[in-house]
Amino acid sequence: MAMRAALSCLSANFSCRLPGLSSAAQISATRLLWRSGSPRTLSSTSALSTALKFTDKHEWVQVDGGIGTVGITSYAQEALGDVVYCGLPEVGQRLEQMEEFGALESVKAASELYSPLTGEVTEINAELTDNPALVNKDCYAEGWLIKMTIEKPEELDHLMDQAVYDKFIKSLEE
Amino acid sequence: MVQMQGSRPLVEVVRLGLVSYQEALRLQQVYVDRHRSGPAHALLLCQHPPVYTTGIRHQPYPAPLLEDLRLLGADVHRTNRGGLITFHGPGQLVCYPVLNLGSFNKSVRWYVGQLERTIITLCRRVGIEASTSPHTGVWVGGNKICAVGIHCGRYVTSHGLALNCNTDLSWFSHIVPCGIEGKGVTSLSAELQRDVSVEETVPHLLDAFREQFNCQLMDTPEKDS
Repeated sequence: MAMRAALSCLSANFSCRLPGLSSAAQISATRLLWRSGSPRTLSSTSALSTALKFTDKHEWVQVDGGIGTVGITSYAQEALGDVVYCGLPEVGQRLEQMEEFGALESVKAASELYSPLTGEVTEINAELTDNPALVNKDCYAEGWLIKMTIEKPEELDHLMDQAVYDKFIKSLEE
Repeated sequence: MVQMQGSRPLVEVVRLGLVSYQEALRLQQVYVDRHRSGPAHALLLCQHPPVYTTGIRHQPYPAPLLEDLRLLGADVHRTNRGGLITFHGPGQLVCYPVLNLGSFNKSVRWYVGQLERTIITLCRRVGIEASTSPHTGVWVGGNKICAVGIHCGRYVTSHGLALNCNTDLSWFSHIVPCGIEGKGVTSLSAELQRDVSVEETVPHLLDAFREQFNCQLMDTPEKDS
């Protein structure tokens, strides 16, 4: 389920925040020509802080008011199978970017989760204790895993935006 | 061994013999770490002295329960694999593939299915009709013949499968294997009504694995544990 949410334009060096996207919606817009070397202007004025960013381990993070919500992507939940258990960290635990922060269990396989950012865990999704399948059913909303503070906002710039992530998973499927 | 362009992944077979569960974990970690400098797939084969192990869902197994199991003369170990409680012991072929799924298929779900299909092929070769079910593992009727429980980090797998060859199945009566009530366990020997040893089974496992994973196997001499 590669999301085809597209951007109209983006600065080529990816140092700016993304134009806002509603998180799981498909937006019909011009596909981003990210290979282009020439800078382009931002055309959207929606709040930049709500755009999803992605890691190459298929986690997403959505920033809102200085707090990042973290989950796994549809590609990841598909590859896992039915999640039966979520092993999540404690509130207050400090995580470094790319540090393992937990594991999801499916089909007798425990797969590790990696923190997209450096920060402190502020909340874990208590719904997942009784309903781990939310991770499969609604991975971008109800199936969120943790919330965390963002100690180093510059780390967000090095994560993939929607278009780059879409391209990334396409390359994996080849 | 020169690997040609577009050829099948090369997997090193490592025969550990009878090793403690802890020692096997230590060796798995060595092989997991090797993947940091590029694909270095390995298939660890061993048997364990009697041991009960639990997975990342360890809440169903509090310390007093585990103590009772120790009193039976078994070791007990908490692990980071998926799956609930199971038993390993002599007569059971334990196989730990340490693969980088990047060389195969980056899906944990696919990988677990592959392990199940490998065992089903093995069973067919020796004359047993086995199958999968909604519960992970390989079944003969309502009895589990092979347990599966893995861990995957950065696409590198560890833990694996445990196939009952001529295991003393009474060890399983002290637990609800894999947390599945009302189902039993079986072994190759119990199904074929003759003694089928781990040694006899290993070549069948290697053939089935090679075929299922479409890989090349490289056998190494038995390592000292």
